[in-house]
Amino acid sequence: MRFVHLADVHLGAVPDRGCAWSARREEEIWETFRRVIAYIRENPVDLLFIAGDLFHRQPLKKELKEVNYLFTTIPETRVFLIAGNHDYLKRDSMYRTFSWAENVYFFGSEKVQSVHLTEPEVTVYGFSFCHREIREDLLAGCVPEDEEGLHILLAHGGDQDHVPMNVRSLSAAGFDYIALGHIHRPGMLIRNRAAFSGALEPIDRNDTGAHGFIEGYTDADGRLKIRFIPFAQRNYEEISVTLTENATQGWLEEEIRSRIEERGQQHIYRVLLDGVRPPDMVLIPERIRLLGNISEFADLSRFAYDLPLLEKQYSGTLIGDYIRYFRNSEMGEVEEKALMYGLQALLETSR
Amino acid sequence: MKISRMTIRNFGKIHNRTFELSDGINVLYGENESGKTTIHTFLRSMFFGITRQRGRAARNDAYTTYEPWENPADYGGILWFDRGGESFRLTRNFYKERPYHELFSETTGAIADAEKGALENVLGDVSEAVYDNTVSVGQLKSVTGQDLVRELQNYMASYEGTGDSSIDLARAVQLLKMTRKGYQSQEDRRLREIEAEQQKISGSLSQVEKELQQLRDRQASAEEKSRSLRIGSGGEEILDERIREARRQQSTNLFLFLGLFAACLLAAFFLPEFTGLMIFVRIGLGVLGIALLMAGAYRNSRFSREVRKRQKMKARWLSRQEKVLWNRKTGGELMDERLTAYESLQEEYRECEDQKYARSEDRVEIDALTLALDTIGELSGQITNQVGAALRRRTSQILSEITGGKYNEILMDQNLHMTVNTGERIVPLERLSRGTLEQIYFALRMAAGELLCGKEPFPVILDDVFGMYDEERLLGVLRWLYEADRQIIISTCSKREMEILDREGIPYQGLLL
Repeated sequence: MRFVHLADVHLGAVPDRGCAWSARREEEIWETFRRVIAYIRENPVDLLFIAGDLFHRQPLKKELKEVNYLFTTIPETRVFLIAGNHDYLKRDSMYRTFSWAENVYFFGSEKVQSVHLTEPEVTVYGFSFCHREIREDLLAGCVPEDEEGLHILLAHGGDQDHVPMNVRSLSAAGFDYIALGHIHRPGMLIRNRAAFSGALEPIDRNDTGAHGFIEGYTDADGRLKIRFIPFAQRNYEEISVTLTENATQGWLEEEIRSRIEERGQQHIYRVLLDGVRPPDMVLIPERIRLLGNISEFADLSRFAYDLPLLEKQYSGTLIGDYIRYFRNSEMGEVEEKALMYGLQALLETSR
Repeated sequence: MKISRMTIRNFGKIHNRTFELSDGINVLYGENESGKTTIHTFLRSMFFGITRQRGRAARNDAYTTYEPWENPADYGGILWFDRGGESFRLTRNFYKERPYHELFSETTGAIADAEKGALENVLGDVSEAVYDNTVSVGQLKSVTGQDLVRELQNYMASYEGTGDSSIDLARAVQLLKMTRKGYQSQEDRRLREIEAEQQKISGSLSQVEKELQQLRDRQASAEEKSRSLRIGSGGEEILDERIREARRQQSTNLFLFLGLFAACLLAAFFLPEFTGLMIFVRIGLGVLGIALLMAGAYRNSRFSREVRKRQKMKARWLSRQEKVLWNRKTGGELMDERLTAYESLQEEYRECEDQKYARSEDRVEIDALTLALDTIGELSGQITNQVGAALRRRTSQILSEITGGKYNEILMDQNLHMTVNTGERIVPLERLSRGTLEQIYFALRMAAGELLCGKEPFPVILDDVFGMYDEERLLGVLRWLYEADRQIIISTCSKREMEILDREGIPYQGLLL
C-alpha cells in the first residue's frame, strides 16, 4: 500500500505582495499542485490525503472543477479531502453542493466520520472545519473502529484556536498514521505514525526551509513507513552576515551574492546583518535588494561605540547632548537605531 | 584654571624637562620639529588620558606615537594646576604595563585615582570635546580665500549649532537624509506595487458587483414571474379547481339530459292509456327524449372542450413553472458563486491594506532616521538658543576690541553666510583680507572658550596662529590677551611675538625648547 499525504496547498494565495515575484508565486502554487498529481500519475499510489487548506480562501466552483478534473486523471488513486480553517465549510460554501469524481471522498462534517475500504484494507477518518476557528478538541476520545487493516486519521489544526489535539494519545488509541495539516513547517511528530506534511509550497516568508509532501508505504513486514519528498519550486532562505571591523558595502554585496549563488538564485531570501559595523560604513540597502529575490533586509548590526565614554568625551557639545537625550528616554528598536544613525552621521562627517 | 608648572619625564622626544608657567602670557618658542606639538599632546593627555581619545583622531594611536624610545616604563610626567581655588598635582605614567594616575590636592592633602572620576570632577564642564574646541587654537587650515571663508563660516555655524567646531552639521544631516531616501524609495516602491494590486482587485470587485446586480435583476424578474403565475401560492390549485369545475359542469349537464331523456322514455312507455291518441303522445315523448338527448350531447361536447382547454392551460402553466424554477435555481447558484468570489476579493483587498500598514524593516529604518534628524535638529536648536546669540555677541565684542573698533559686529544669515559690520556698511567675508579673517577666527575661538568652558576659563594654547598677522594686528591681539584675565600659551616658531611683547613692555614667561 502506498499513499501521498499533503496539506496546506493554499491555492489562490498571493505570497509577498509588493515584491517582484509575487504574481509568479501565485502561479507556482497551482503549478506545483498539478505537478504532484502528475507525479502520482507516473508513480501511482493507492491513497491521496489532503489534510486541509487546499484553498487559501473559500473555493470558487470553477476552482473545485479544476481540482476535481485533476483528480479524475488519477482514477486508480482514492482521494480523501478535508476542509481546513482557510477553506472552511461556511454556510453557502461551494464545497457543500459540489459533486466530486468517483474516486474522491470529501469529509463534509465537523464530526469525525470514517470510510472503510477493502482493497487495500484501510479505514480513513476525517472531519472538516465548518468554522474559521475551533477552540475545542474535536478529536478527544476518538478511537479507531473495530475493522481489519490500517486506520488512518486526517486532521487539520493543532494549535489553540484550531482544534487543540493530543496527537500522542490519538496515536496511542490505535491510529496507524495521523496525517496532519495546518502547521506549514513539515514535521514528524511521532516517527512513522504522525506527521505534518507542511505546506506544499511555502506561503509566506516565515515558511523557511524545504517544502513538499509525505510519501508513505507499507514495507515487506507490513509496517508503515513515511518519508518527506521536497517538491516546492523555491524556499524561503535566510542569509545571516556577520559584519566585522573591515566590512565594506562592496564586501557585503559580494558576500550576499556568492551565498545566493551557492544556495540557488530561485530562492527567496531574508538577509540579516549582525555583528559590529565599522563606524564609517554606510549601508546602501537598495543595492542589496538587487542581488536576488530579497524579501527582507534586516540590519541588526551595531556600531562598536562606547556610549558612556563618548558621552563623557563629548559632554557639552551636540554629540554629548545627543547621547544623553537617548540614554534618558525609553529605548525601543527605533530609538536604538536612531541613536546609532545620528552618532554615525555626526562622528563620521566631523572634521 | 591656571597651569603653574609641568614636568615631562618621558614623552615623545622630550625627556626630563620642567616648565614654569606664568598666570598671564607664556610664549613657547621653538624651531619647527622641536617638540611644540609634543607639549600640546602632553597637556591633553595629562587631562584626558592617552589611550582612548575621542573621534577620528583616536585612529591615530597617540600612545604609540609618543611612546619614548628609551625608558618606556617612565612614560609620563607631572602637572601642577589651580582650579576652583584649590591647587592640584597630577602625576601620570602612561606605560601600559604599569599605568599610574594620581591626583593630589596640595590644598586639602587628598589623594585620588585620576582615572576614577576625581579628575573629571575637578575639570567639571570641560570634556575632551570642549577642551579641543576651546583650549587649543590652531591656524585656519585653508589656503585660498574662498575655502577660508567657507571654513570660517563652518566654524561659526558649528559652534552655534553644536558647540563643537569639528562637527559638520550640514553634512551629517545630508548623510542621514540620503540614507533615509534610500530606504524611502524601497518603501515607496513596495507601497506602489500593493496599491496597483489593490486597484486591480477594485476593478474585479466592481466587475463582480455588476454581475451580481445582473443576477439580482434576473432573480427579481423570476420572482415577479413566479408571483404572477402564483407559483407555490395556489396557482396550480386554482387551475386544478377550474378543471374540476368544468368537469363538474359537464357531468351535471350529462345527468340532467340523461335524466330528462329517461323520464321521457319512462313516460312514453308507462303512461296509462287515458286517451286514444296515446300513441301520438308516446311518439311525441319519444321524439322529445331523443331531442333532449341530442341537445345534451351537443352541450356535453362543449363542456368537454372546455375541460380540455383548461387542462392545456395547466400544462402550459406547468412548463412555465418549470422554467421559472430552473432559472431561479441556477440564478441562485451563480449568485452564491459570485458572492463567494466577491468575499474573497474583499478579503484580498483587506490583506493588501494590512500589508500596506504593516511595519516593514524599511519603515523601521525610515522612522529611526527621521527620529535621528528630528532629535539632532531639536538639540542643535537648543544649543543655538543657549549659545548662538551670546557667542555672536561676544565674538563681535572681541573683534571690535582687537581691531580697535574697525569691525564691530559679526552677522550670519539663514544660509550661514557671514558678514561684518564696520559701523558704516556691511562687508561680506569674501571681501576681507586673510589677516582680517584670521582675526575673526581668533575672536570666535576666544569667545567660544569663554562661553563653553563654564565659570572658570581654561588656559588657551595658541598654536602658530599669528603667522598671517601684520605688526599692527599682532600688537592689537597681544594687548587684548594681556588685558584678558586668562592664562595664554603662545606656541610659535618665530621670535616676532616676543619682540613685540618686549618692546611694548608686556610681561610674559618665555618657555624655550
